[in-house]
Amino acid sequence: MSPHTRAVETWTLQPLTDFVREASARLVLVLTPSGQVLAQSGFSRAVDVMSAAALAAAIVASTGELARQLRQPPFAALSHQGPRTGFFLATFLTDRGTLAVLAVYDLDVSSLGIVQLFYEQLAADLKAASPKGAVPKQVLAADFERELTDSLNTLFGR
Amino acid sequence: MSLVNFTAREITCKIVYYGPGRSGKTTNLHYIYGRVPETRRGRMVSLATQTDRTLFFDFLPIDLGQISGFATRFQLYTVPGQVYYNATRRLVLQGADGVVFVGDSQARQLDENIESLQNLQSNLLEHGVDVRAMPLVMQYNKQDLPPELILTPPELDDALNFRSVPSFPADALHGRGVFETLKSVSELVLKKLAAGSPAS
Repeated sequence: MSPHTRAVETWTLQPLTDFVREASARLVLVLTPSGQVLAQSGFSRAVDVMSAAALAAAIVASTGELARQLRQPPFAALSHQGPRTGFFLATFLTDRGTLAVLAVYDLDVSSLGIVQLFYEQLAADLKAASPKGAVPKQVLAADFERELTDSLNTLFGR
Repeated sequence: MSLVNFTAREITCKIVYYGPGRSGKTTNLHYIYGRVPETRRGRMVSLATQTDRTLFFDFLPIDLGQISGFATRFQLYTVPGQVYYNATRRLVLQGADGVVFVGDSQARQLDENIESLQNLQSNLLEHGVDVRAMPLVMQYNKQDLPPELILTPPELDDALNFRSVPSFPADALHGRGVFETLKSVSELVLKKLAAGSPAS
């Protein structure tokens, strides 16, 4: 597994690891349509992951809305290819809801065809692995306000 | 919808700055970006027109550090304020955990504030969210303008704050009220999470 492959939800890790290896993708994100990252590979800084996820979610949202206005089903996938690097973005439905995959690949080690081929496997593996339903859990201690205030004070240099 | 990783003990929440055009939503994010240390924030992403009006959204991820043992990150978004960008505004609102309504304190902008607030309610409903269930704070921006041009915070509360949510006078350009607003919405969002909302 790449040292930079990391899953927020553990069921996504193995399918993602397999995809990164087989498709030779440089960067991969598995995300929700609202831009929350479930798993990522290849990113070195958490905050850059979030920027990429926000932009990917925006593309998914805007193409979905375009499709809706054209009275078409949502576009399944789209890709852009530059001289050295390309990206592939696609959505699929799981028990966890709709998910999107953003894959960035270098043309000297991979191609759109390879990425598309192994994306099909990734989508199938994620569909099979996704948990059925979410469970309510207690998240934070009731007295988190002081820590929050301290954190925000630090952030704003107060 | 906030994302909680119980294994790695991480929380990621989405906060949307909403309000009419030119009310100061992007200015709030610029101020936060300028004040937060580089190690605690990501790149600010702005999808704007050539004249720097927000076209799709501005986005700023910030790292709050450890809260109750969870590494807590907030994703701050703005929406485009102009009426004709409603489709993109609705898309940005998807999955929001909390909303900051940035109102323009100028008396002549009152109708725009009301219209934007109604639009927020309508767009949340399209996502199946009742505005009363959404953590919301109001910010009355541009309070630095001459008194004869603006409404006071109590007057704006009377006109806009029908839920009696926390409200803050602000001058986002110079930072007044920006921190207090962010702190308040953060508390509301995390309180809702602490109350045991479904982790998803």
